[in-house]
Amino acid sequence: MRFKLISCEVLYREMCESIARSPHQVDVEFLSKGLHDLGGKAMGKALQEKVDAVSPDTHDAVLMGYALCGNGLHGIEARALPIVIPRAHDCIALLMGSRERYAEFFEANPGTYFRSTGWLERGKSLHQLPVGGTAGGASLDDLIERYGEENGRYLFEEFTRYQQHYRHLTYIESGLEPDGRFEEEARREASKRGWEYGKIPGNSRLFHQLVNGDWPEKDFLVVPPGARIAASYDDNIIRVEPPVEGRGA
Amino acid sequence: MADLAQLREAIINGNAKAAAAVVNTAIAEGTQPMALIHDYMIPAMDEVGRRFECEEYFVPELLLSARAMKAALEPLRPLLASSGIQPAGKVLIGTVKGDLHDIGKNLVSSLLEGGGFEVIDLGSDVSPGKFIEAAQSTGADIIALSALLTVTMPSMKYTIEALKEAGLRERVKVIIGGAPVTQQYADQIGADGYSENATLAVALARRLMSGTRQATA
Repeated sequence: MRFKLISCEVLYREMCESIARSPHQVDVEFLSKGLHDLGGKAMGKALQEKVDAVSPDTHDAVLMGYALCGNGLHGIEARALPIVIPRAHDCIALLMGSRERYAEFFEANPGTYFRSTGWLERGKSLHQLPVGGTAGGASLDDLIERYGEENGRYLFEEFTRYQQHYRHLTYIESGLEPDGRFEEEARREASKRGWEYGKIPGNSRLFHQLVNGDWPEKDFLVVPPGARIAASYDDNIIRVEPPVEGRGA
Repeated sequence: MADLAQLREAIINGNAKAAAAVVNTAIAEGTQPMALIHDYMIPAMDEVGRRFECEEYFVPELLLSARAMKAALEPLRPLLASSGIQPAGKVLIGTVKGDLHDIGKNLVSSLLEGGGFEVIDLGSDVSPGKFIEAAQSTGADIIALSALLTVTMPSMKYTIEALKEAGLRERVKVIIGGAPVTQQYADQIGADGYSENATLAVALARRLMSGTRQATA
């Protein structure tokens, strides 16, 4: 089989390792983590274009190195090829290897910021959370320059206030790290922000299964040509939905 | 003389100090608060909403205009209260349990205040129990729930269920919003309304207060 993997660059190292071990030929295209900051609709549109560019003449399926990602994957339509996507809310669940494990961790550890190799080395200039139409992650100086001293400070405070609610920074260790540099960086960040540092082991199970063609229904959604991905708002996270007439991607 | 056209401009441009200054001068000159609000301030916010809709304005501009609107309303509040003018409605707002992201919620809160609503902001990570307690003690008309994560969206559903169990569901309207939230989800969990963005949330709240339920898409 020959797959086309369209993946967020946040999963770069995990995906590369998985692809290297896959029995199949996997062509990969990594997309900017910045898509995340555009909001669900713009992200979906960009991903749809990438999905549409994969030809059934060359590939057997399109694999998504994404989760529901703030509904960024909601509405993406499989055209000529099936799309395969792991059932998860976001990349943190993917990195943990299980959405159940993520749900338990989320419940037991409120106010946790996560880091992984991808989150530490990719798209550093970007903001982790969407802030509407601004250049995500604008610094205090950027905001002052654009909106003036008083308004700039006010905006910076508004955009960063949520960080006061965070208390922990947890590094998800994939086991693929060359040495301790990523963990050290995560530890430094936690200390700088005044958050408690923690580390948990990652699990590459879902990445391996995705590129190996091992897609149990419990953990993966296979979207047949003509249908699309939809948020299911239940424990399955996503479901297949037939396309709506006249609806754009 | 207060330059009232400048009041409109100050709100549109997000200049809180200038907006408050014009209002203070106008009050001193005996201008009626409602005239200021209806002839200058609300039209200014409508213009801000229009610019946001056609993507001339983004979240920062909205925040700054909402702040200028609040600054302009501040000196008017005692006058409105003493002349017995009631707020457009009482709104309880918060991000749902598990969700700590409050930028959108704060924006909606500011715009609702600017739109004449009394807003009781319960903050972030608000449990269904806290919403119920506050709904009982404040007699709120509307409860506005916000979530940024699909992980925390189910908390919206649980909050509505808890309101039902507490016998409050018929007494309050529930509106929901946040980046991943959709009209479809609002319908699915039985919310009274959904708004795609902060400026439309004010229109939604007004519509609900006037007893017109939002048509479901």
